[in-house]
Amino acid sequence: MSYPYEARFPERQFAFVFNINRCIACQSCTMACKSTWTFSKGQEHMWWANVETKPYGGYPQSWDVRTLELLRQADPDGQTWNGPVSDNPRSLYGGFSGKTIFEAAEKTLQPPGSRVLGYLPTDEEWNSPNIYEDNPVGPKGVRNQLHQTGEQLPTHNTWFFYLARICNHCTYPACLAACPRQAIYKRPEDGIVLLDQKECRGYRKCVEACPYKKVMYRGNTRVSEKCVACYPRVEGTDPESDGQPMETRCMAACIGQIRMQGLVKMNSDGTWAEDRQNPLYYLVHVAKVGLPLYPQFGTSPNGYYIPPRWVPRGYLRQMFGPGVDRALERYENPDRELLAVLQLFRRSNRIIFRYEIEEGPLVYTGVYRGKTVRIYDDTVIAFGQEGNELFRTKVEEPLYVRPGQYQNSI
Amino acid sequence: MPYHEPDPSDPSILVGVQISGSEETELDMAYVFAEEFARLGFSEERLQALFHDPFYAAANRALQVLGEGKIRSIIQETLAVWGRFPIAVQDAAERKQWDISIDSLRQEAKSHLRQDRQKS
Repeated sequence: MSYPYEARFPERQFAFVFNINRCIACQSCTMACKSTWTFSKGQEHMWWANVETKPYGGYPQSWDVRTLELLRQADPDGQTWNGPVSDNPRSLYGGFSGKTIFEAAEKTLQPPGSRVLGYLPTDEEWNSPNIYEDNPVGPKGVRNQLHQTGEQLPTHNTWFFYLARICNHCTYPACLAACPRQAIYKRPEDGIVLLDQKECRGYRKCVEACPYKKVMYRGNTRVSEKCVACYPRVEGTDPESDGQPMETRCMAACIGQIRMQGLVKMNSDGTWAEDRQNPLYYLVHVAKVGLPLYPQFGTSPNGYYIPPRWVPRGYLRQMFGPGVDRALERYENPDRELLAVLQLFRRSNRIIFRYEIEEGPLVYTGVYRGKTVRIYDDTVIAFGQEGNELFRTKVEEPLYVRPGQYQNSI
Repeated sequence: MPYHEPDPSDPSILVGVQISGSEETELDMAYVFAEEFARLGFSEERLQALFHDPFYAAANRALQVLGEGKIRSIIQETLAVWGRFPIAVQDAAERKQWDISIDSLRQEAKSHLRQDRQKS
């Protein structure tokens, strides 16, 4: 693994886990971000948070396929995983024997100054997020009309899923490596990657380098912009936060309860310090159900995904690495603790620093998909930065029904 | 999907990619559909109807691929694990009324009118 700068790691790292199995692409996260940060003139094409339909969609269009193809051209037949998944924090997802975007840059015919393999998306690719995704089609040439007998059209064995994305605030940010003016920096206190607009001259090297395409160029100010991880909320300096670290706008707006964000403690070597009762540490390093997006790019992203369980494994292994099979085996057959921790998602907009489980009664035992299932009605309790209790919730969550006389009272 | 046939000269067009689903994928999807709606409180009858509705294209496709018997067993198996849930009927606690009612505005307008007339 090569990186143009000497490694420096923050005390804590901004990180998140998205459970893709729950995402319905309602775009609440997208609009929460848009209405907070990118609503001004010149930012029309900017979506720091977006949700795209996979495998067809992408914002910018084809961003992942384009970078994977560049890597394949730089290292034909070499982009493979060679090691099994392990418990070693440095190779949790297996060993990658191919070239990362930093190593591949040394081999390609880019300008000699290029430190990262990448490409600059066209304006057309940025302009229309979600174009043609999930669109039902009507008769040819007739707009705004659907087939009245759609169920009789030819059928296909289809599958898809929704991929929610924000900046991964990588441990080895490609945008930072590529910037010729060193205008991009990673904050030592929380690992959030920020772009200093006073220093930026709009060369767009960061846009070209970021493999996730989460840095965007603004034409009317002639500088680039990127996700700021809602840092006033994470710091607890936002007026609404009341001094306590809060999750970002996109996390807090998630009605599908797919998102959990936090701050994890770091070792001096850049690995996550053991923090057994931190829910993110548990999901990524203990249960190992959270996997990084395209780990083969080599930036060590700090966004983790619980992969969708109905999608063909080959596609998932390409997207999340060889840890997919282990992650799905555990997610499909959750143990007592995992079932409880999954209930922590989106019960509060405060950052959870620690959780505890109070054991409850066994409420179900039986066989499901050939395996024995035991469900305990445990209570899981979340604690904030100061050790204060944020909330408590149960595994057997009741279904709340609005009574008849209040049905239309909103 | 686009309204027109793909234009091969369009650099953004997706061409020649097929990652078709298998029977195993259909099985996983059928379990996911059943589980999702079982957790929403669907009965066995409603779940069966969902799989039989051709406008729920993916669930209906799973029924066609896997067959009636398999779907029924998936539904029953899923309902046993995920179909038990307590129901709580409740509403938010009474809160201070922040909105100004239209009636109070009408009253206000009428009293202003009255005062204006008296002045004139």
